[in-house]
Amino acid sequence: MKKNLLQKSLKQLTVFAFIVFALSIPSYFLLVDWIWLKELDENNHLTAERIENEFNEQHISEEKLAESITFWNEIQPVSKIESARQPLSQDSLYTIRRQNTYAKKEAIDRFRGLKTNIRINNRNYVLVVETNVEETEETVAYIALVTLGFFLILVIGFWILNRRLSQKLWRPFRDTLQQLKSFQLHSQEKIRFQETDIIEFTELNATLDKLLQHNIATYQSQKEFTENASHELQTPLAVLKNQLDLLLQSADLTEKQYHIAEAMNKALIRSSRINKNLLLLAKIENSQFDHSTLIRFDNLVLHSVDALQAHFKEKNISLHTDIQQEVEVKANAGLAEVLINNLIVNAIRHTAPGCDCTIVLSATGFELSNSGQKALDPDLLFKRFSRMSADNSGSGLGLSIVWEICRLHHWSIKYKFENKQHIFSVQL
Amino acid sequence: MKILVIEDEKELAKSIVEYLAEEQYLCEVAATFREAMDKIDIFNYDCILLDITLPDGNGLKILEELKNDNKQDGVIIISAKHALDDKIKGLQLGADDYLTKPFHLSELTARIYSIIRRKQFNNANIIKQEELEIDLLAKTVTVNNAVLNLTKKEFDLLIYFIGNKNRVLSKSTLAEHLSGDFADMLDNHDFVYAHVKNLKKKLSDAGCAPYIKTIYGTGYIWKGKG
Repeated sequence: MKKNLLQKSLKQLTVFAFIVFALSIPSYFLLVDWIWLKELDENNHLTAERIENEFNEQHISEEKLAESITFWNEIQPVSKIESARQPLSQDSLYTIRRQNTYAKKEAIDRFRGLKTNIRINNRNYVLVVETNVEETEETVAYIALVTLGFFLILVIGFWILNRRLSQKLWRPFRDTLQQLKSFQLHSQEKIRFQETDIIEFTELNATLDKLLQHNIATYQSQKEFTENASHELQTPLAVLKNQLDLLLQSADLTEKQYHIAEAMNKALIRSSRINKNLLLLAKIENSQFDHSTLIRFDNLVLHSVDALQAHFKEKNISLHTDIQQEVEVKANAGLAEVLINNLIVNAIRHTAPGCDCTIVLSATGFELSNSGQKALDPDLLFKRFSRMSADNSGSGLGLSIVWEICRLHHWSIKYKFENKQHIFSVQL
Repeated sequence: MKILVIEDEKELAKSIVEYLAEEQYLCEVAATFREAMDKIDIFNYDCILLDITLPDGNGLKILEELKNDNKQDGVIIISAKHALDDKIKGLQLGADDYLTKPFHLSELTARIYSIIRRKQFNNANIIKQEELEIDLLAKTVTVNNAVLNLTKKEFDLLIYFIGNKNRVLSKSTLAEHLSGDFADMLDNHDFVYAHVKNLKKKLSDAGCAPYIKTIYGTGYIWKGKG
């Protein structure tokens, strides 16, 4: 699935944020728990000191003291004072989970305890102080809840920012893209990119502008080259042809010399044709033809068939036509004529004398079929200078021109061999 | 008959002049736009051969000038461009014909011949050749006042021969002329042979003298008085 750039980065950011937040939960918990226990230990120490001082300040007798401690132990279930013969070698700190004696219902709570030595009336006692600590699960749950909240705020924030960014920040980019989409090389229209203060886009636009300028310049020079090549080649060919014509007229020309001149003439005629066809191809490829005029295709077909009738007769080819009337298409009339002529002439050239040829025109297509012996290679058929038959008097460009004309007009041309028939069909 | 050849390519202009000189045409050459404009201002020509790509200006401007001055000169555009636009524009501006380089001099001569006839005789456009009478507009041929039925191609061929009297016309030249737009792929010389044979037969059947002769084995020539 295709996503836009910001959506992609949003997904990555979200995953990253999720990982960071997830890791932060145990960290926060450990930190909070550590601070919590430290504070409680300090508090327990203070409590122990306070108890010790309170008892010492009473200055009471031994019996009274024992009685007081017993009474104290009774009302302070979380703390305990016991007489000890030997003082503890060191204080002990511990965490236990047990029933909370103050709690009204059954509940196990966590307690932090301190077991330390105190001296009352110069006698050693061991004091146990315990303080309720928040449970681990609860702490984790609260932290996780808050973290999730922040995570959601972050993601929603990203999403909103993203939308605003993609609308604002990417506007010049989208503008450039739109300009490029509508750009057509042969339309001669210059592209003007929107000014932007973003370095990357300015750079992109400058690079694109350079590229386009180069393309336009290349296209222009290519077009000029076509015209120049045409002029430069046609003129010497014309000189050659005319000089040969003059040579043919000289009074003292021998028959042998005539045949040499005629052979040259033939070669010259062919090279002029190849040259003309190459130029035509180049011009079609450069889209130098306007093909948006509505033309009557049927008239063109009828005209060509009429003009070539004599050639069909001469080769004794029986021609069958089924031409629908008033077939209108958007095309270049000159090129459409070339297409029709080339296909028909091709059929005449390659149909054996006495065989059949069929021309069908409907509103959607133009189809031409002629008898043949075996199928031709459709990959080579429309290639330049790839001749299918031993007969090489043609320019070798006729079908390439047909192909290019179809491409220019967005028509599709297909070749198939069925029932001993070569079938060329053009989908108009 | 005066013809102005506006062509910057010297060799080409020279060969055209040399070929046309034998037809009793008086040829003048203008190699530049300015030269051409100067000549057109002063003289009248029966036919102007106009190369539209000149070193110092577009030949189509000369056409416009001729049209503005209401001159009756016949104009044949000769161009190396083979651009459809130029052809259409040229014909719209009043050119009578359009030839793409390279062309055969015999083709050019035949076209000049038709244009001059058309311009000079306006509607009564009839060529007389001894017992032969050709109406260029009605496209009919009569031999000793009897109508001769010719196909379009045969009529075309006849005009070509008449326009190139006493000239050697090679088979390939005729083939190129006859196949016209289809020359690209039809290179059938038997086609020429068949048409010439038919024309010859029809003419002789109608009692016409054998003007068309075979020369050098494969070429043809129309032998007749100028």
